[in-house]
Amino acid sequence: MIELKKFSYWYPGTEQSALDRVSLSIAEGEFIGIVGANGAGKSTLCYALSGFVPHFYNGETEGQHTFNGQDMASLDLGQLAGQVGLVFQNPFNQISGARFTVREEIAFGLENLGLPQNEMRARIDEALELVNIQDLAERSPFSVSGGQQQRIAIASILAMQPRVLVLDEPTSQLDPDGTRDVFTALSKLVSTRKITVILAEHKLEWLATFCDRVVALGGGKLRAEGSPQAVLSSEQMLRLGVGRTQYSEAAARLLRTKQLPVTLEQARKALK
Amino acid sequence: MRGGSIYIERSSGLHRLHPLTKVALTALCFASAAALPGLPWLLALFVGLLLPLAIWGRLTGAFLKACLLVVGPFVLSLTIIQGFFSGGETVLFNLGRFVFTQEGLLAGLTFAARLLVALGGTLLLMQSTPQPHLMQALTERGFPPRIAYVVLTAIQIFPSFQDRAQVIMDAQQARGLELQSGLLNRARLLLPMVGPLILGSVMDVSERAMALEARAFSSPARKTSLNTLADSLLQRALRWLLALAAAALLLWRLWSALQ
Repeated sequence: MIELKKFSYWYPGTEQSALDRVSLSIAEGEFIGIVGANGAGKSTLCYALSGFVPHFYNGETEGQHTFNGQDMASLDLGQLAGQVGLVFQNPFNQISGARFTVREEIAFGLENLGLPQNEMRARIDEALELVNIQDLAERSPFSVSGGQQQRIAIASILAMQPRVLVLDEPTSQLDPDGTRDVFTALSKLVSTRKITVILAEHKLEWLATFCDRVVALGGGKLRAEGSPQAVLSSEQMLRLGVGRTQYSEAAARLLRTKQLPVTLEQARKALK
Repeated sequence: MRGGSIYIERSSGLHRLHPLTKVALTALCFASAAALPGLPWLLALFVGLLLPLAIWGRLTGAFLKACLLVVGPFVLSLTIIQGFFSGGETVLFNLGRFVFTQEGLLAGLTFAARLLVALGGTLLLMQSTPQPHLMQALTERGFPPRIAYVVLTAIQIFPSFQDRAQVIMDAQQARGLELQSGLLNRARLLLPMVGPLILGSVMDVSERAMALEARAFSSPARKTSLNTLADSLLQRALRWLLALAAAALLLWRLWSALQ
């Protein structure tokens, strides 16, 4: 679906590449986690996977970058928006500011796609339910908390029903319940609709529980790739500044085992 | 009131009118403000049309208050300036060398009344119409969506901009910046306050633009709307009537001036 082959990217006016010969192949219906310390290139990779690099940020690129077999540079952002959704870290900047209510805010993207009213209403109700904010539907998007704004931003993109959903640290402002709601909704979308989800995140426990595959970045390079168990339990994660899940930490202190658990379930089994 | 707009939510006939009908009414108010010959005509229009519309829209208090707040200072300044400096025969009183005339007073009041009529029409439109609905009505008639978006967000995002300014002010105070002292000191401290506000906003622009693109803002599809704006044959006819009346007034004024 999305393929990067030895893909490098330089932001305009910079000498140091933000992504350095990254090769990554993402198939339909995968749930992929991206981990890395601050400045590792997670956001840039998210922008590349959603087409904002090179369409929005000019800069220089090298290598191959394709979406459904077509060169990403040859595609138009307006057309891509219906197929690839991007959610950012800062919820405030994602509120369009052009609508009075949360319901209308979610409709903004659907109106731009030219959908009929009945379909819009159905999609809005579904998106509100998916991120559990039905009670906010008639509120102003500016009168809610940061966490609620982030759920609105996610719902706004979910309602557009993209084939690929890229999320750059979407749960940074969410409490544990909110984080669980978002991960559960994303997991449901992957299993029921075969949507591809790509998620950059520091909350490793959630990635370990929900992702099919984890990609680790460091200094713009792809450093590790594989199952959450294989990647997140490795020593390399400590060197990259990614850290480990709390379950791995606990097991590392309590057990003498090479294969550290990364999820609660695995930790429970290991500690028995 | 929502966001930075002055819209007031009410259930009224005025609120239910199609936004373009109210735009046509506002156009008539502007044309009347420019064309009507004297104070009695202007006041009659305000009392005979705008005030009943405000009552119909259940906006009387807010409407009159806004008129007073905006036009009040103009009435005061215009009557003083015109009263003292536009000349005239009938002297009302003297202040040293300066003479305050009845003709000047009338000229000042007439000018203020013109403002009142134009502003009154605009206020009724803005207080009874959600701005997104107004922009929807305009874009459905071919108004560029990008311009509509810029206008709308400028209105809606203003309170959030104020919130950000408050956060910066609090942060600077927490670092020991003294903001409570005299006027001169406050002026000197403007840079550490305004600098981060402007820089932060400029940095946000890029992410905001990306977020808009992610919401298919530049999609080639023909845009649709979640809400349908109720319209009728009667309202369409009324709009034409109001527009014709506005044009007729302006033409009459032009013809009078040329005579």
